[in-house]
Amino acid sequence: MKLVIIGNGIAGNQVAFDVRTKNPDAQIVILSAEDVPEYDPCSLPYFLGGECQQTDVFRKKPGDYAAQRIDLRYDAKAVSIDPDKKRVAIHTGEQIGYDKLVLAHGGDLFIPPIPGIDTPGVFSCKQLSETRKLAAHNGTRAVVIGSGAIGIEAAEALKRKGYEVYVIELMDWILPSLFDEPTAKRLENELTGYGIGVFTHEKVLEIKGAGQVTAVVTDRRTIDCDTVVVATGVVPGTALAQTAGIETGRGIQVNRQMQTSIPDIYACGDCVETIDACTGEIAMFQLKHNAIEQAQVAARHMLGEPVRYLGAYAFARAHFFDTHAATFGKTQRALDCVFGDKRIVEREDKNNYLRVVMLDNRIVGGQAIGTFADELGLLIGAMWRKDDFLDIAAKMRTLPKGGAVHAWPMVRLGHLLGM
Amino acid sequence: MNMRREQLAIDPEKCTGCRRCMIACAMKHHGRIDPDLSRVNIIGLESQDLNVPVICMACDTAPCIKVCPMNARIRQANGTVTTNTDVCIGCRACVYICPVGSPRINPYTGRTMTCDMCEGETEPWCVAACRQEKALTLCTQGSVSQRAARQAAGKTKQFHTGGCV
Ligand SMILES: Cc1cc2nc3c(=O)[nH]c(=O)nc-3n(C[C@H](O)[C@H](O)[C@H](O)COP(=O)(O)OP(=O)(O)OC[C@H]3O[C@@H](n4cnc5c(N)ncnc54)[C@H](O)[C@@H]3O)c2cc1C
Ligand code: SF4
Ligand code: SF4
Repeated sequence: MKLVIIGNGIAGNQVAFDVRTKNPDAQIVILSAEDVPEYDPCSLPYFLGGECQQTDVFRKKPGDYAAQRIDLRYDAKAVSIDPDKKRVAIHTGEQIGYDKLVLAHGGDLFIPPIPGIDTPGVFSCKQLSETRKLAAHNGTRAVVIGSGAIGIEAAEALKRKGYEVYVIELMDWILPSLFDEPTAKRLENELTGYGIGVFTHEKVLEIKGAGQVTAVVTDRRTIDCDTVVVATGVVPGTALAQTAGIETGRGIQVNRQMQTSIPDIYACGDCVETIDACTGEIAMFQLKHNAIEQAQVAARHMLGEPVRYLGAYAFARAHFFDTHAATFGKTQRALDCVFGDKRIVEREDKNNYLRVVMLDNRIVGGQAIGTFADELGLLIGAMWRKDDFLDIAAKMRTLPKGGAVHAWPMVRLGHLLGM
Repeated sequence: MNMRREQLAIDPEKCTGCRRCMIACAMKHHGRIDPDLSRVNIIGLESQDLNVPVICMACDTAPCIKVCPMNARIRQANGTVTTNTDVCIGCRACVYICPVGSPRINPYTGRTMTCDMCEGETEPWCVAACRQEKALTLCTQGSVSQRAARQAAGKTKQFHTGGCV
């Protein structure tokens, strides 16, 4: 079997090394658009902020590929796929044949159509090469466009490097897809407490500067700056799949075995559209743990094992300086267009905050700041098990004092929910 | 994957909340009598008059490994999952995703720590410290099936099913 993998990221490597572990004979080729071994994009903000060394972002060493007889081709960007001839074309024009193909090329940074977006001094931190440039840049005032997880992490990193930092968010609150307003406002207060300027409900109109960024103009103000970081999200890469006629929606469409609509072509990681494991809805979470699990499923299926992907799940942390927060599942806002009996349970204790989102008495999401977050995993477990909140409440009331040893997992959960 | 041969079993019914295990753990790993440095944590559930020892179960599909942004959570040869403190940045993703909330934060370094089964010792120090109460015991595959050990260790229901079956 000749296996060709497009993308030397988290998902691509997981497929390659999983297949190699169980199949010593397969010929494995990875096509990489970059010129480095596998690294973890999640580590990039910490490299930028000087919290770790550049070497710490790598998940593989150059020699790891040869040791596993995996043919890693640097600077080989796949440009089209011919499923009839079973060939992939790379940008040099070279054609590479395959028996099985895996699309694991992730997503691309969404570049908003703002005048001046290509002015020198505008950076991103989606890829190592970009992050390196930003790390080497000597600036003093930075504007981060977008306040998703990556934007906030980049803002913290630049603040650590001594920059004056401003974050601009188009929506009404920061981290809008991960947190509801009450949680996000608390996090915003923390950010401003660390000296990071946050402007929400504000639209960037223009990036000014001839030859070098000098200011960012929004619909409310002009911020002088010498550095801009674009963190406006990642869009799944679908163009390559379309050259092969593979069906795509928001991302590449796959079945529960990570197969695309064309035989012998699999897809996994940030480039696919999957379903939410807990709600069954179409999901685009684009998170590392999902990429790893999808790749494991693709590899196992390719090796002939019966396997079924249960779906992706949302879990993200928001961590900057001494603030620790996390979120999972759905936000209240995401439930706005869902029918059912919705309920929010909130707990607050000084700077610590817990918000649990329930639909028809089942936990479907939660957000926490501080100590409440330490036990968030209990709620995630309850979400997976589809525990009934009313059931737990009723049981908690009737438990005999000191006599419910067997029920301790539920008692812990009940305690966390403030019962 | 390295399968774990031994499992720490907890029995909240027997736990008196004396925290000797925590002292033993801190002594073994840091040479200090300081419960904050222990990898076992005793959670007191007052309404139920219950003490629950919380400890890393070294999950087969350990979600903490997958969510760590620094790839600092590492499966060891003895099956345990421990933190590489050289690269951990203390983001606590592993704490939040853990079905039992087991990773503890070293208050002096801000980095996480979990049970390593006292690799190299004849038995984990916490087990020795709890010899009388037997709230923390060591189950080996020979003495009890792994499944039962896991149940005793708190996995009464499957806490976390990762991405596939
Ligand atoms: C700054 C940052 C922070 C993040 N933090 C977190 C976090 O804390 N937690 C979390 O869960 N997730 C986080 N993520 C998301 C996580 O990194 C991704 O979900 C994960 O990397 C997806 O893996 P992947 O293999 O699908 O894609 P990637 O890891 O992006 O790999 C895709 C690879 O394909 C290559 N490629 C693209 N096109 C081609 C082509 N045509 N030919 C050949 N190669 C190509 C790319 O160069 C890249 O190396 C973060 C992402 C970023 C950018
Ligand atoms: S820290 Fe938690 S999630 Fe990780 S292996 Fe231990 S018990 Fe499992
Ligand atoms: S706290 Fe450390 S070990 Fe845990 S997820 Fe964060 S970096 Fe990884």
